[in-house]
Amino acid sequence: MPIYAPTLPPRPSIKPDKSPILVMARFDIVRIFRLKMGRFFGYVYFCVLLVKLVIIYVNYLLNTNPQLGQLKNFADQVMPQPAIFQASLLDSSMLFFLWLQVALVNGALISRDTLYRIRPLVYSHPVSQKDYLSSKALIAFGIPFCVQLPFILLPWLISILVAGSSGPVWVTAPLLLIPAAILNSTIMGSITLGASSLAGSPKASLGWIIGLLLMSSALGGILSGVFENFAWMAISPIALTESWSKILCGVEKTAIPFLPTAIATGIHVCLWLYIAKRRTLPSEAVI
Amino acid sequence: MSVITLERASLRYGHILGLSPTTFEIKEGGGITGLLGPNGAGKSTLIQMISGLLRPSSGQVLLFDEPPFRNPNVLARIGLVPEGDRFPVGFRADRWLRMMGGLSGLKGIALSASVDSALEIVGMTTRSHLTFSAMSKGMRQRIRLAQALLHSPDLLILDEPFNGLDSEARTALMYMLRNLAKENVRVLVSSHILGEVALLTDQILLFFRGRLLAEGSVIEIRELMDRHPVELRLEADDSKAVAQWAVDYPDLVAIKMETNGAVLSVKNPRDFFQKLQSAVASGQLSIKSLDPLDMNLEAVFQYLTEDHG
Repeated sequence: MPIYAPTLPPRPSIKPDKSPILVMARFDIVRIFRLKMGRFFGYVYFCVLLVKLVIIYVNYLLNTNPQLGQLKNFADQVMPQPAIFQASLLDSSMLFFLWLQVALVNGALISRDTLYRIRPLVYSHPVSQKDYLSSKALIAFGIPFCVQLPFILLPWLISILVAGSSGPVWVTAPLLLIPAAILNSTIMGSITLGASSLAGSPKASLGWIIGLLLMSSALGGILSGVFENFAWMAISPIALTESWSKILCGVEKTAIPFLPTAIATGIHVCLWLYIAKRRTLPSEAVI
Repeated sequence: MSVITLERASLRYGHILGLSPTTFEIKEGGGITGLLGPNGAGKSTLIQMISGLLRPSSGQVLLFDEPPFRNPNVLARIGLVPEGDRFPVGFRADRWLRMMGGLSGLKGIALSASVDSALEIVGMTTRSHLTFSAMSKGMRQRIRLAQALLHSPDLLILDEPFNGLDSEARTALMYMLRNLAKENVRVLVSSHILGEVALLTDQILLFFRGRLLAEGSVIEIRELMDRHPVELRLEADDSKAVAQWAVDYPDLVAIKMETNGAVLSVKNPRDFFQKLQSAVASGQLSIKSLDPLDMNLEAVFQYLTEDHG
């Protein structure tokens, strides 16, 4: 097999100031879109969103159609108060699937590079650790936020369309729920990045994340029982993400108060980002 | 100006010394330098330091007169081909190359031109659309080389590039490396097989147990091998005939009789082989097989360390 080795071309023009964060992030997005499980999560989110939209529409009919008066009285009894209803746009069922998705997708972000030993190659280019970690964080925080956004905005838009701005009392819901979505994404992104950096493969990373979530929930439950204070559930990242939407929407009685939720969120985010930083040092990139 | 300068550079992994204080210099200009040593000799550690992944624990490492550790100016001038596969399976090679080019700061037309050019150099232009899982080991090795060539580096570093390649792929890779060296690219190749490096270059840095033992040419290494007594097992029906013939050889150091032959310890083995060949060809001696027991690089290293000790 003849191999031809033509003369090397002149050195191409290189602008070293161009950030490689977007280059790596774009590559990871392409990688994620190739995953078959993306379709599965798409259907799941579509179904959950559809149910939420139907509830809003039914609520609207109950309020506007006098023939459904009796039904409305019944609905008034079972329908939650407005703050809870707003918070339920990011409820536990939706967050459960979101946790599952980030465990699968974000969990592979760093661990896949570890499995295929890609980091030495990346670091042999003019790429700093900050660039590498930022590109991964962009995806890890961005995916859960982008998934939560339609769950906030679509119901809100429908409520505006069917009842106008004077209709539903939760017309300002996005102002409350988008910060909650940002906080949820930060928790999910940092934990999954940290766990992914600890694991040697995407499967191991999934194990780390699921194990971490289950263990922390179990520990939170035990401590809550021992000290008879539900605030200990703030140890659990799942409980934290369920808590933020309720706190920010102003639900009167939340399971975990604001202060423990804020402290636990800060600790989780700092701890897991620190782990991710330590585990992606250039010296950790084994040749 | 020097391409690589090490001044008493050493590296520790905790309590373990990965590389003892090492000093050498590789001058600018094309050419191939071989890093030779058995597994665990410190070759990969040295490559990690040179490619800016590790900071030396003591001493100084300079590439193009600048420290390489996380230095974009230096990293933009080197191309690293690490050992083993480094690809996400299921991905297309051309897309992967575009990403790696992007990391070096290439974009747009310059990126496309660089990818095309690198693929042409490694002879993979028509097969770059294949996924890594559909490629042979030799093809993946070529893509590894292509990713290191995208930004036209001045220094190309290859860590054990011949591992797992068949002879055809090895020959092709050697041909490519020789051509790159002619194009004023300094090539640094690590290997634990003397024969591979000897085919590629005459300039060798010998490493053993984290120490730079010798710096010189392949000829000098071969001379060291000649000085070192080598054990050879000669299998024959008549052990006594082998022993009678061997005792006449002046560089015979020791002989150990076995049921079906003898184990000879000889100096200057290349001269011994010529005499053995003549004896067998003339019918003076009849043997079934010849098995060199310790005529490998490891034995030379042991010999050198004993000398240095």
